[in-house]
Amino acid sequence: MSTNSAPASSAVSMGFGPRGRGAPGAPVEKPKEAKATLSRLAAYFAPDLKYVVLLALSVVLGVVASVLAPSFQSKAIDNLVGASFDAIPPILGWMLLLYLLNGGAALLQGYFSSRLTQRVIYRLRSDLFGKVLSLPIPYLDSHSHGDMMSRMTNDAENVSNVISSSLSSLFSGVLTLIGTVVMMLRYSVPLTLLTCATVLLSVVLTNVISKAMRKYYLQRQQLLGRLNGIVEEKVSACKTVTAYNLQDEAVTEFNAASDEFTRIGIIGDSIGNSMGPMMNMINNLSFVIVAAFGGWFTLKGMISVGVISAFIIYSKQFSRPINELAQLYGQIQTAIAGAERIFGVMDETAEDHSGDRSFDVSDGVIEFEHVNFSYVPGQQVIYDFNLRVEAGKKIALVGSTGSGKTTVVNLLMRFYDIDSGRITVDGVDIRDISSDIVRDSIGIVLQDTVLFTDTVRNNLKYADRTLTDKAMIEAAESSYCDKVVDALPDGYDTVLTAAGANLSQGQRQLLTIGRAFLSYPKILILDEATSSVDTRTEQHIQNAMVKLMHDRTSLIIAHRLSTIQDADQIVVMEQGHIIETGTHTELLEKGGKYYTLYMTQFAGKET
Amino acid sequence: MIALLFLLRFIKKYWFTALLAILFLIAEIVIDLYQPRMMALIVNEGILGLSSGGVSDMNLIISTGIRMLLLVLACGVCGVLSGIFTNITGQGSTNEIRKLCFDRIMHFSFDQTDNFSTGSLITRITNDVTQVQRLIIQLIRGFTRCIMFFLGGTAALLTLDTSFGVIVACALPLILLDIIFVVWRTNPLFTVLQESLDRLNMIIQEDVAGIRVVKAFIQEPREEERFAEANRHLVDTQFNVQMLLACMRPVMNIVLNLAAVGIIYVGAVQVKAGDLAPGTVMAAITYLSQILIGMMMLAMIFQTISRGMASLRRVQAVVETESEITRVPEAADGASAKAEDGSRGTVRFENVSFAYPDTGTEILHDISFRVDHGETLAIIGATGCGKTSLVSLIPRFYDATEGRVLVDGIDVRAYDPIALREKVTVCLQKSELFSTTIRDNILLGRPDASEEEVRAAAESAQADAFILQQPDGYDTSVAERGMSLSGGQRQRIAIARALLKRGEILIFDDSTSALDLKTEAALYASLDRNYADVTRIIIAQRIASVRNADRILVLDGGTIAASGTHEELMASSPVYRDIYDSQLREEVSE
Repeated sequence: MSTNSAPASSAVSMGFGPRGRGAPGAPVEKPKEAKATLSRLAAYFAPDLKYVVLLALSVVLGVVASVLAPSFQSKAIDNLVGASFDAIPPILGWMLLLYLLNGGAALLQGYFSSRLTQRVIYRLRSDLFGKVLSLPIPYLDSHSHGDMMSRMTNDAENVSNVISSSLSSLFSGVLTLIGTVVMMLRYSVPLTLLTCATVLLSVVLTNVISKAMRKYYLQRQQLLGRLNGIVEEKVSACKTVTAYNLQDEAVTEFNAASDEFTRIGIIGDSIGNSMGPMMNMINNLSFVIVAAFGGWFTLKGMISVGVISAFIIYSKQFSRPINELAQLYGQIQTAIAGAERIFGVMDETAEDHSGDRSFDVSDGVIEFEHVNFSYVPGQQVIYDFNLRVEAGKKIALVGSTGSGKTTVVNLLMRFYDIDSGRITVDGVDIRDISSDIVRDSIGIVLQDTVLFTDTVRNNLKYADRTLTDKAMIEAAESSYCDKVVDALPDGYDTVLTAAGANLSQGQRQLLTIGRAFLSYPKILILDEATSSVDTRTEQHIQNAMVKLMHDRTSLIIAHRLSTIQDADQIVVMEQGHIIETGTHTELLEKGGKYYTLYMTQFAGKET
Repeated sequence: MIALLFLLRFIKKYWFTALLAILFLIAEIVIDLYQPRMMALIVNEGILGLSSGGVSDMNLIISTGIRMLLLVLACGVCGVLSGIFTNITGQGSTNEIRKLCFDRIMHFSFDQTDNFSTGSLITRITNDVTQVQRLIIQLIRGFTRCIMFFLGGTAALLTLDTSFGVIVACALPLILLDIIFVVWRTNPLFTVLQESLDRLNMIIQEDVAGIRVVKAFIQEPREEERFAEANRHLVDTQFNVQMLLACMRPVMNIVLNLAAVGIIYVGAVQVKAGDLAPGTVMAAITYLSQILIGMMMLAMIFQTISRGMASLRRVQAVVETESEITRVPEAADGASAKAEDGSRGTVRFENVSFAYPDTGTEILHDISFRVDHGETLAIIGATGCGKTSLVSLIPRFYDATEGRVLVDGIDVRAYDPIALREKVTVCLQKSELFSTTIRDNILLGRPDASEEEVRAAAESAQADAFILQQPDGYDTSVAERGMSLSGGQRQRIAIARALLKRGEILIFDDSTSALDLKTEAALYASLDRNYADVTRIIIAQRIASVRNADRILVLDGGTIAASGTHEELMASSPVYRDIYDSQLREEVSE
């Protein structure tokens, strides 16, 4: 009877031989700086040192019990053979005790390991999420969101799981190995050597199979990526696929990828699955060797029959950690590589919130002075930008797509920092005050209509949940989203699903405008905020805005010139330069770029 | 169980390999089970020489050893073969399911896609299908193995000596109780686990995608709190699951080890009485450990099955959803070839009403109008008045609830949808580009188009110039979700794609909203020049986009408020004038 003391997690994968994930041969990622990463990881385990110590103790207890138990069984069998039956019951008593200890130790091990994992995952994930939120916008804009998500869920979980369960497996494995070898050597040196020989065989075989498998696993991983790519793209764009009758092409492409994936999968898994029977074969081989040679040694009088029984258990106990060690090594390497990715994000410089000056935006005077900016060095998008927005004025930015209008907003919000020049609010450089103060005084409605999976009420009160319902309803009325809300089944308590997917684009824009109105900002920025709203509704919103913003500053970006005609100042931009400024009437009289744009819009043809 | 019957439909095709997999597996296990018996033979006869009066027999040890070796080899071969056949069966049938799923999804009506939600469809075809594959393999291998080990082990044990049966009979209920308890407690937790993971993912995705809003409203602390709550819930659930699973194995181990002690004790009594040889006791212990393996497998099989069944039901729901809009092959040729009244490119709405199936609220009421060949119809109206819904009925993305939509005089429901959509091109509100080159994205409109035609379409769409400015021109790849292109550029590529298709009816669903006015005007001018014989239906917000249309439809609250030319509407329709004024303000005289 084997008395394995495998920790909780490996219990799940035991008994079936390798199955895909974590199996030997699955691609192993190599960490770059294993030592440094490990010591940082250790810091995450440090607050739970109590659990680490308890876990180690329970592992030791389990290993000791499982190593000693077979020797008692061996004694029992010897007494059986030697017909000294009276000696058996006390031995059985010892065995009972050891097995109970072993079981108890395993339970404790499961408990401590789960507790430890859970606490470490929690900390790791929370820290990472907090870090991601504090990262500067440029970083988030230039990194794949899917990648970020997988770090927070998969990597974080993988790292803590592997570290707490695999490390204890490793610990118990090594201990068991040493204990077993010591016990075996005490019984019979030659039989121990023979058993070791079979282990050597299994190590060689594992290696050979792993190599053969690795090739197919890598290939399968790539094919899986392709398959998922097709699914993701074609399913999320299924309306376009249908509109262009591309269903059959998509299906053909998918089927080809799926067939190839299956073909490689069958080969890879067949090789992988042969590991189980092969190992079983070697285990049985060791069984035969122990039986045959053990028999022979017994005949020679070198060992007793009971020793054979003990050896059968020991040889199993011995080969299990050996088989596991290679696998664990790979798992741990992969986990450390995952931890490196996590720490990589954590090491990114957080957004610069600096600026120690305490400051209250009172008037909302915005000034851009000789601002130059480029997203990518060498590709300048804003050139010597000068603009002064007086308090309480309505300024409009117009210009063709890609002329740099949204960039100006990005700079004012300090989503990006400028290359040279300065931007001031009420005469103070925005780099000298905390970005939170700047952002707090600005209400913004972005081109992308971002809503959260929450009730309409909480979405509208996003800036401050303590605002009254009365204020919220007023804001909803002036932004014209009250009608949208009224049509929803539960009104303001309706939970918006999948980031507001159950609303039309125009309706979502109205909600985001309502949200900005409710925050009563000193400065309001609307970046193409009404592009999907019909012009009449838009006009009503404008009227409401005039009331709301009569003593506040507003900055409006729009394609539709009707949106901005009554602005105090219209700024026409082209390729990062300001080419014209003035009021609507002034610019029309001037007959420049604005005039052309205006005539195009209303005459419907080029002039 | 109905779900399992569904699964059987796919495995049926692979019945032969499935059978081979099971047979080889049985062979492997039988051989495995035979080993301890030979072991007992070596000990009892070879070493102790029980039947030959205590004389050891080295020859017997060697010959039995060799026989064991051969059996070990055979056992390995059977195991490998069984693995191969299992994989062919499991992955092969899963592949069929996956392909069928994808095919179904691709042919879903918009309504069906909306119901499932694309996110869920993606998870189903990727994660859930993989779980089903595990289920199939588990059903073949796991069940066979578990039953064989369990029954075989028990039978072998009992044939050694029936008195061992008492011990097994005592241990079994305890183990079963353990398994049942754990499975009973973990099953509902798996669903909770999946849900809390979904929630965590949702928060991450929302916050990362909406980071500008989070930062602009300085809500980082609140988002961290929201995340912490979801994180806590997930981690607690995970702990509960892990703890339950962690309990199962040690408890089983204790019970079975106690049983081993029991066997030695019973064995001792029997040996003392001279009824049993010591080697037999050793074999009995080995069999007991095989029963243990069988039981442990059972526990794991239950886990995989309860997970797999949940996934299977999700996959089944997709596969068994027949597309509402079915193909009518015989109608295809006839309908597209000759129209009732010989006209090509005409659209007629006859008393059409429409409500989205999921909400039931009527979006369009009693709409009737007609567009003729080569005509340009513009549709204008307030946010949420049903413009997009109206044009969605023409290519039959949805079906009208009442009334008829006719294309070339034939009800759209009589068409083969493929043939219908060949005639009708829709440029959607959201310009979805695929992650390939700009050229390939345009070519999707008509894959066999020549380079000149692609360029011509791009030129008409006002896209040629900026495409040539891209680093690799037409070969520039459109990055993930087209992030490298601005909204206006994406729209123009989508328009080029629509133009290349050269359908008889072209629908622009607010697809020029991100274009600046000059570009838009140039686009419409080139449409008039190059696509004069194409019937055009244009949804727009700006008067400038619609004023040159042959006819303008003013939609208000799901009904047609007015229709006519720009001049007529200016004279007759207060709603239209209102829209006009809202865009022109005091400059009405311009």
